[in-house]
This record gives sequence, C-alpha cells and structure tokens, in this order.
Amino acid sequence: MSDKSATTAARIADQLAACGVRLIASLPDNWVMDLIKTIDGDERFVHVPVNREESAIGLCSGAYMGAMGSAALMGASGFMTVIYALTKINYSYEIPLFLMATLRGQAGDHHKHHVSNGLYLLPVLNAISMPYQIIDRPDEIGLISRCYTHTRTYSRPMVILFTRDLLRGAH
Amino acid sequence: MRYVECFRALARHRTSEIVITSAGNSSQAWWAVTRDADASFYLDASMSLSTMFASGLALAQPELTFWAFMGDGAFAMNPGMLMVERQMDLPNLTHFLVSNRAYGATSNADLPNVGQTDYAAMARAIGLERVFRFSSLDSLEREFPALKTANAPGHTFVILDVEPFSDQEQKLEQPPFDGPELKYRFGRHIESLTGADIFGYRI
Repeated sequence: MSDKSATTAARIADQLAACGVRLIASLPDNWVMDLIKTIDGDERFVHVPVNREESAIGLCSGAYMGAMGSAALMGASGFMTVIYALTKINYSYEIPLFLMATLRGQAGDHHKHHVSNGLYLLPVLNAISMPYQIIDRPDEIGLISRCYTHTRTYSRPMVILFTRDLLRGAH
Repeated sequence: MRYVECFRALARHRTSEIVITSAGNSSQAWWAVTRDADASFYLDASMSLSTMFASGLALAQPELTFWAFMGDGAFAMNPGMLMVERQMDLPNLTHFLVSNRAYGATSNADLPNVGQTDYAAMARAIGLERVFRFSSLDSLEREFPALKTANAPGHTFVILDVEPFSDQEQKLEQPPFDGPELKYRFGRHIESLTGADIFGYRI
C-alpha cells in the first residue's frame, strides 16, 4: 500500500467512523482494496465481506432498521447489479442507504472491460433519480459525512463515487 | 405439510421473535395466521434478501431474536447468502427455508432442479452446524420447542417442507401496508423494545 493510498484510506475510514458507521459490507474492486484492508483492520468497524453486491444492500438496509450505521462498498460493476434491490427495498420502503463505489470507465481507467461502466453508470444513476457525489481529490473526502447525513434526511440511497486519481493516483 | 398450517404452528411457538418475511407466499401466510402489523417486516419481492436484511437487524440488535423466512425460489437466486450467514454466525437469527419446491409467488412456476437439491447438505457443506429439517406438523410440534429454546451458539438454519399454495391460498390477502408505513410501524416497535433511535431526524 503506497503512503498516498494509505492516507486516503485512513481519511475515508475516519469520515465513516465520524458519521457513526459501524457495519461495512464490501465486495472488492482493485481500486478499493487498500480501503477494504484499512477497514478490515479498524476496530471501529464490523467488516462483512459479502457474496454479492445485493447481499450488501440487504444487510445494510437491515442494519438501518436496527439503528446501526452502515455503508456498502463495491466496484462500479457490482453497483450495476443492484438496481433492483435498491429500487425495491430502499425506494419502496424509503430506507436510507449509504454506498461507496468506484467511478470506473472514465478517462484514466485503462481497463477496456470497464468501458460499459463509463458509458452507463452515471446515466443509470440519473435514470433512477439516485443522487451521487464524485470524490476526486483528498480535500473532498469531507463530503462523505454530508452525503451520509443526506441519506437519512432523504430516506433513500445515495452513492459516493471514488475516482482512480483519489484512490490510486493519476497515471 | 400444508404451508399455512406450518406457519400457524410456528406462530403458536413464537414468543418475542421479530419476523422478516420474503416475497409472496411467506408474507401472505404469516399475515394470515398472525395479523402482526408491528413486530414483523414484510420484505416483499426482495428476491433473496430477506435473511441478509434480517442479518443486519440481528447484528444491530443482539438482544433481540429474529426469524427470517425465505422460499426456495429466493434461495435459488442467492444460495451464497449462506456463506455470509455462516461467516456472521449470529446466534439470534434463524433462517427458515420454506421449501415448496416452486416459485410460489408466481403461480407455483417451476423451480430449477426441483426435487434434487439437498438444502441441508448445502448448508452443512458451507459450515453451518445447526441445520434442521421438518417435513410434518407432528415433528415440527414435537421438536421445534427444544430447538427454539436451546440457547445454542451459532446461526440456525431450518428447512420446512411444505406443500405449494393451492389456488385458493394464492388468493390470501397480502399484508395491507405501503412500504414507508411498514418501515415506521416496525421501526417504532424496535425503538420501543430497545430504546434505540432508528429514525433520528425530526421535522
């Protein structure tokens, strides 16, 4: 883990803890592996690696109904698989949910298999009227608490989208 | 055993358990036998997420006990959930797999590999130790009370072999709640039991 990546992961973890997040359900994406390792080793959190992204939606939604702060962490591809769960559980019942995902497929992401995410991730979010916040620089990490609070006010899900430049540095 | 009679038996043995139901038939049957509008969350059409939802609740409220129902149609969509449940190993959660061998909520449509899948073997292969199966009302009535009060460590997985809903049972009333209404009824009940502040924000 590079110093920059470690510092970014630690700052994100501090923000989550300050929000009252206790449970973090995750699935991996290479860009968030350092963040997952940081969370997994942080006693402020109960980290639950899950089998698929929809399970994270169910788990965190249940935690909310038990008054436990939570966050779901996943890659962009995983996020694209959870639209039904989000709209069925979190929209139908108006259950807040805080998600963090990677902003894949944008300029700087050299993986061709993420082209579809570059094309459709943001349009899909707009199509389901789901608010999102792109975090591209370390000085924007503080927006996490604002967005987390917004999910509780708005009684619906919101997603933070981390860029490669933030998590891994530009290349 | 008949689906609704099975649920009637479970309701008789219920004491303080908080219940999460799954799509369609389990919500209809639980509503039919309990009319519970506060201590049950009818997670309609979640397509396999009822036990994950219940796991979040059980983790958050370890002093409460939770029952989560799921049909084998939902189970077929996400059997890997058992890996997460085994990993979390919550002693205050019982996962009831209601095996009617059909997609009950959609007019008993065919289930893949129907009759061949050994759910208990799957659960044991994943590492679950408290795995039980009931195929008759007699055995459920006789053995379930001891299972329920065992106070044993670890997550419990119970398979209930039931008949699919009849055409008449398919017409049973769905729980008559809109989503946000159910959220607040259930959440206020959890708050009253625990003193927890779920909703926080007030206008």
